[in-house]
Amino acid sequence: MGTTVPAHFFHLPILKVRDHVLKYLLVLPAVVVVFATAIWPLIRSLVLSFYQGRLTRPGFPQGFLGWDNYHWALFEEPAFWNSVLVTTVYSVLTVGLTVIIALGFALLLAPGGRFRMSVQTLLILPFAMSPALIGVSFRFMFNPEFGLFDAFFGFLIPPLADISWLADPQLAFAVCVMADVWGWIPFLTLVLIGGLGAIPRDSLEAAQVDGANGWQVFKDVTLPQLGPVLAVVIILKSIFSIKTFDQVYMLTNGGPGTATQTLSHYIYFNGMKYGQIGYSASAAWLMVIPMIFLTYAYAKLVFRKNKQ
Amino acid sequence: MSGLKLWKFWQHVQLIVILIGAAIMIIPIIWIFMAAFKTHVDVYQLKIWFRPTLENFAVVFDPPYYLWDKLINSTIVATVTVLIAIPVATCASYSFSRFRLRGETVMLVMILATQFVPAVVIILPFFVMFRDISLLDTRTGLVLVNLAIVMPFAIWMIKGFIDGIPLDTEEAALVDGSSRIQVIKNIVLPMAAPGLITSGIFCFIIAWNEFLFALILTNKHSVTLPIGLALFKAEEGDLWNLLSAAGIIIMVPMFVLALIIRKHFVQGMTMGAVR
Repeated sequence: MGTTVPAHFFHLPILKVRDHVLKYLLVLPAVVVVFATAIWPLIRSLVLSFYQGRLTRPGFPQGFLGWDNYHWALFEEPAFWNSVLVTTVYSVLTVGLTVIIALGFALLLAPGGRFRMSVQTLLILPFAMSPALIGVSFRFMFNPEFGLFDAFFGFLIPPLADISWLADPQLAFAVCVMADVWGWIPFLTLVLIGGLGAIPRDSLEAAQVDGANGWQVFKDVTLPQLGPVLAVVIILKSIFSIKTFDQVYMLTNGGPGTATQTLSHYIYFNGMKYGQIGYSASAAWLMVIPMIFLTYAYAKLVFRKNKQ
Repeated sequence: MSGLKLWKFWQHVQLIVILIGAAIMIIPIIWIFMAAFKTHVDVYQLKIWFRPTLENFAVVFDPPYYLWDKLINSTIVATVTVLIAIPVATCASYSFSRFRLRGETVMLVMILATQFVPAVVIILPFFVMFRDISLLDTRTGLVLVNLAIVMPFAIWMIKGFIDGIPLDTEEAALVDGSSRIQVIKNIVLPMAAPGLITSGIFCFIIAWNEFLFALILTNKHSVTLPIGLALFKAEEGDLWNLLSAAGIIIMVPMFVLALIIRKHFVQGMTMGAVR
């Protein structure tokens, strides 16, 4: 019969109603998990940061303090500012060094071929290593008696030969930076190789036909086209640098003294070793603030990419 | 001709720089591998040639180190974390990918943002709560907090895979009268399976390597492998041969897994910002 109505005429409206409910049911478990494991603790930390919360005393949290914890961190506690300074210098150095070296390495490896591809595969390995293990490895490498890197640097720069790296504030800091850069270069290199691969070949070839030399092609074509990927990489690395804890804990445990005490380590120490949960929550929230800006910038990049 | 020579010379320079870079990346790993097979005495000399021994691997599993327990804890915690995270994330990703939801952007940004929250901020309230409901030093507690770091990755990664599945088959099945649930079960899941496995492996690596949560929440019964590394300290200093053997047990399984999913590693870590 010519009057046959397409099957979807009957089914689709009903299904749409069902979908209307279903689509929210499907996201519900995930929203609950994310809320319970991330958003609730974040809010709870904020609340605790206004209380005196000492684990060692009965009744927790003990009393409302208003802004006292923040006041203490910002104006009475040089150790807090020390950790801010350590984290800032650490982040600037690790982000800068990692991005620059990774960009160079990516440019070298991007052309492909069997040799370069096998090196790219090798690059996965350091990134699959636990950061805690990277910290341990570097403590091993810089052991003054039998560390491999210690021997190597001692060979290159004789005055460094008998130095105990991790006992010297500046050198311990340098080792922390090296461990971080070592651990992150492979990943950033792989991201940037991906970014380089996405640059249209015609624009590179057009520039070469116009007689541009290698440096000009890089500066005028490659770098601008790589911009968004570089932005992603810089923000992502900044976030992870600011959060750094595992490696530093295993490598120097913040020492010698507080020379390598990052913010995360400072918060961990005050909260877990001294049991001052309220105070460390306030320090933690002071750390969340720069994260909000970085996350906002990152989210904008992600959504721009996804819309394309 | 001199241009060609210069080009060839430049190619050689590039190869040498790549080799040096690769060496710097790989030598610390090789060094640990070697140390794991060295005797206590050989470690304390910069020896390249030595008589390999498997003794270290036997010692780390024995008392007082009991690395076997840590290995089991790590395996169970990472596995259960993945088994919860992947199905939950798959449902959500399908919905995010196929439907317009009210507040969708807000939800996605929130999920993305939680990944960037410092772990120390999350762990403080959890520690207090777990202390009150005696979940401290349990694998259950560890799984719960691990979900916080794994979920955002899982959701964004799986969403990327489902976005890549063409809509045609799904629509055809819907028109033929299949329900949405049937479509998800019979069409989407089989097509997304490789992506789900990839995401699962990625999350497993993250949960396996997790350090700060386990450091704070465990002390005896549910200690995981990365925390176990701290055991190998003696009065005379670190026991590097044992540390290295433990290091191998931690990293080799992850190397294998990472190589399996190497093509998707970058995409997973950047949550779709780079494809």
